[in-house]
Amino acid sequence: MPRVARLHAILWGVFSMGGFIAAFLLPVLIYLVGIAYPLGLWPMANTDPTSAILNHHHLGTLFLFVTVAGSLYHGIFRFQSTLTELGLARAKRALEAIGYLIIIVGILAVAYYLLRLNPSVLSLP
Amino acid sequence: MSQDIATIRVTRYRPEKDGEPYFQDYKVPYRKDMVVLDALNYIKANLDGTLTYRWSCRMGVCGSCGANVDGVPKLTCASFLHDFRGRTIKVEPLPNFPVIKDLVVNMDDFMHKLVEIKPWIIREKESPPEEGEYRQRAEELERYAQFSSCINCMLCYSACPVYGLNEKFLGPAATALAYRYIQDSRDQGKDVRFPIVHELEGVWECTLVGECSVVCPKGVDPMLAIQKTKILGATNALKSLLMPRGGK
Amino acid sequence: MSKQKPYPEYRRKLGPGWWLSNSHFTQYMIREWTSFFVAVFSLIYIYELSLFATGQKGSALALMKNPGIITFNIVALAFTLYHAFTWFYLIGKVQPIKMGKTKSKPWQALMLNIVLLVILSYTVIWILVLRSG
Repeated sequence: MPRVARLHAILWGVFSMGGFIAAFLLPVLIYLVGIAYPLGLWPMANTDPTSAILNHHHLGTLFLFVTVAGSLYHGIFRFQSTLTELGLARAKRALEAIGYLIIIVGILAVAYYLLRLNPSVLSLP
Repeated sequence: MSQDIATIRVTRYRPEKDGEPYFQDYKVPYRKDMVVLDALNYIKANLDGTLTYRWSCRMGVCGSCGANVDGVPKLTCASFLHDFRGRTIKVEPLPNFPVIKDLVVNMDDFMHKLVEIKPWIIREKESPPEEGEYRQRAEELERYAQFSSCINCMLCYSACPVYGLNEKFLGPAATALAYRYIQDSRDQGKDVRFPIVHELEGVWECTLVGECSVVCPKGVDPMLAIQKTKILGATNALKSLLMPRGGK
Repeated sequence: MSKQKPYPEYRRKLGPGWWLSNSHFTQYMIREWTSFFVAVFSLIYIYELSLFATGQKGSALALMKNPGIITFNIVALAFTLYHAFTWFYLIGKVQPIKMGKTKSKPWQALMLNIVLLVILSYTVIWILVLRSG
């Protein structure tokens, strides 16, 4: 397979995994962080969900990283193609470049912030 | 004796005269079980001999008579008039293809793609006839049988907005046919076909709209073929990344 | 094959509103727009994490309690679930499971995966929230 197409195949594979992540892991995160805590619904009594999750140093950090990075990748990848289909076809290259930039910066950012919050993650359990 | 009349509104385009297509209405005596193709034939025989369109078998196996019937890509030989009872039936050329004249579209792009994917069994070495046939079990046949039903009618290309937006997209039928051969146990042409379907404008352009599978008159599921081909491509790319020398 | 064409062919362009012409296309677009909410929620949450990480926990919590953000989150959850259900259905179509002589149908995959989603979500809550780390 030509190099560029092979890269695209792998990028698509990651997008596909991101779809599973966004389907199976994102709903509960949105609920906990965005709805249950601010509105005081179960199971958030007093602690905010992010702190509670991050109390589990390894599992919690892994969960947040996988869910946020996977969902961001999937969302941006797919949104790019809708923009193309809505008539912005000629700007496709530019849109893809911006999209991948947001993805890379976003994933680096989430890794960075999670490591700052839980530096012990890098040492094995 | 009163007779039901059906109004057929057909796109007319005469390239030597018209800058743009226009509609022309024809009143056709309606008989039960008439299909749009019957109406077109009646018009050509009795009302307007200049009406130009493609057709052949009139029974849904040749794939010649594709048109946009009431906004949906259909075979005119499979579109019953009684489904449109009381309404004017609009018959337009298949979308996403350039119009040569009236309902006749330019199929060159599709024909080119069809040949590109090499729709025949590719063997590393042909077995001599004395060795007999290539044997195939029922389960092996089932893996590709559905995709061999394609009659090349191009309705799927007309239904596909991705193809409508990007003519370079390989498209549903070509990919489904490539997949049909990739899945055929007798075929050894993966190395030839994979680069074609996995190029940038191959399967990766597909965003799973799925309309191709909805309009296919023969029950082929091109969306499924494209999706499976994407998975093959992704696993292939991963394999070649992890095992650059071994593994095929 | 490509001779000089004496007369012009008529080329019809697909306008940007093509997805409005057909209910399948409109449903498709809505399904794809779920990606917008998935991406934007992720970005908002990354921002919240940045506030947590830089010692601005108060601002992070205030942001989460912002009524506009809460509204967005409710809409985002709805769209994310719509993504999940359409995703499950598509997976059911692409990868049916052989059950004896018959193959599974997409709606069966949908039901099964919804159950899995509920179980997984509860497991996440149980391990990461209800139990202290």
